[in-house]
Amino acid sequence: MNLATIPLRNLRRKLPRTMLSVAVFSLGIASVVALAHLSKVVGDSLERKMTAFGANVLITPRTQSLSVGYGGLTLGDVSFDMRYLPVAETVAAVRAIPMKDNISVVAPKFALLTKVGGVPVGVVGVDFQSERGIKRYWQPRGGYPAGDDGVLAGSAAAAALSLDLGDAMTIEGRTFRVAGVLAPTGSEDDKVIFADIAAVQRLAGKENMAHFVEVAALCAGCPIDEITEHIQAALPDASITAMQQVVKQRMAAISFVKHLAFSVSFVIMLTACAMIGLSVFSSVNERKNEIGVLRAVGFSKAGVFSLFCLEAVLTGMTAAVLGYAGGVLAAGIVPDILETGAPSAMVFDVGEFFLTFAAVTALSAAAAAPPSLAAARLDPAAALVTL
Amino acid sequence: MLTAIDLHHTYAPGAEPVLRGVDVAIAQGDFACIMGRSGSGKSTLLYALSTLLRPTSGQVHYLGRDISGLSEKERNALRGSDLAMIFQMHHLLPALTALENVLVPMLSRLRPVGAEAMARGMACLDRVGLADKARRLPGNLSGGEQQRVAIARALVCGPKVLFADEPTGSLDSATGNGIMNLLLELNAEGLTVVMVSHQPDYAALASRVITIADGRVAQSS
Repeated sequence: MNLATIPLRNLRRKLPRTMLSVAVFSLGIASVVALAHLSKVVGDSLERKMTAFGANVLITPRTQSLSVGYGGLTLGDVSFDMRYLPVAETVAAVRAIPMKDNISVVAPKFALLTKVGGVPVGVVGVDFQSERGIKRYWQPRGGYPAGDDGVLAGSAAAAALSLDLGDAMTIEGRTFRVAGVLAPTGSEDDKVIFADIAAVQRLAGKENMAHFVEVAALCAGCPIDEITEHIQAALPDASITAMQQVVKQRMAAISFVKHLAFSVSFVIMLTACAMIGLSVFSSVNERKNEIGVLRAVGFSKAGVFSLFCLEAVLTGMTAAVLGYAGGVLAAGIVPDILETGAPSAMVFDVGEFFLTFAAVTALSAAAAAPPSLAAARLDPAAALVTL
Repeated sequence: MLTAIDLHHTYAPGAEPVLRGVDVAIAQGDFACIMGRSGSGKSTLLYALSTLLRPTSGQVHYLGRDISGLSEKERNALRGSDLAMIFQMHHLLPALTALENVLVPMLSRLRPVGAEAMARGMACLDRVGLADKARRLPGNLSGGEQQRVAIARALVCGPKVLFADEPTGSLDSATGNGIMNLLLELNAEGLTVVMVSHQPDYAALASRVITIADGRVAQSS
């Protein structure tokens, strides 16, 4: 027998009330754990989906340009000292930055302006595997080119050149076959022909060269500016541009999910704490005579405080274990039920469990502290006189 | 052994004083019975003597030491060692067994109560005739048995003075007589007893009777 025997026996004696408190508190904790898991899973899923809608960092060679205008008429920029980016080295440098884990896709491009059947057309050399990662909205009829002799035609380009699946076309003296035709995207992709980057580089006599490289960085919780700085440090001769608007949009969507989860969790925990506090408060009122007697037999104020606080902490500890297990279980089921499209997985993280356990124990103690303090401050004589 | 000097007490500012200059001296081995009508201040005097209540003014001396000005911690320590109390209602903790209730004054930390303390608790229960009911919950004991457990709880720390606030007040006369006999036995063994009672029959058994009226000592014998 020790000091904890009294709260333990009290909890057991009032089992229905204890079970109700534990159930309500567990439910609150389970909701918070499930929300935390869900917001992470949904946030990550959202990030992946949004990344599919394009790159957020653009790498171009440093090129001197001059705006030309006369008599109020802008004639556009004139570039001189045209440079290229070495593909292999650029990709390797980007993949080696300190925040390399945040780099999702690196997609180099080489553009060639040529004529096919007398019609001027842009041929863009891409690495199809990377490009598919960055442009998941592409819906080609047919398929993607398997070798370096296949092309993917934009919808408008295919219409202008009267191309269809399997048709042969000649670009700069080399014959290519149409492997796929893109469904209209509403972007510049509709107007060009995509071919293997190595093949286009050879046609232009610029092996391993790219006009620009698009990068898709995963940025939930990471500053895009920092990634840009790292890429800039790795490629001092290149110009790095972060597409802030794209990034901000993604960040806003993800942080909205996280803020919503945090706000709901805060309200749930506040309610649970209020419930614990009220439960202890009512217990103190019911047991004033007990407090008086405990003080009369020599219990200190700290002793009385500990007794009531321990009851709440024991309730909280039980609820933490049950609530965490329930939350993990819910996180594994809810995404499917809600048809969020996010992957559902029951992940029991030991560190996260102990963090939840410690936080709930501390919250229980904090919630029970005011009524326990009131119990400790109760004048024993006054408590006994009211009997 | 225990002396009250000019004790005054008012429960709330502006309220009628409950004690109005009480002077009392109780010797070691006394069985003192404090009598008086309801509201006369007898329970307040008992609480002041036992350090449960800090008087508004005046002093209480125990073994020559002024204990009315002791700190909270010192008063708790004194109540946990030399001064013990029992009440009209037994006020046992309903979730604990008889033996566990007896051991409550020995609980101060999360450290478990040792075998020696358990043995002492059992000895106290044996002293009040309830060794065979050590594992029973208070709800399964009669009113007299519950009061005996409360007495055992008061005895477990080996007090020198036992304060009893109408210990037979809620018992039938036969059970009350049993409790009174037990208190007399304890007193005969050397324990000083200070008891508040309404009943003249019990007061007649005490070695001293202090009558309180309107917050003052009306008679002391």
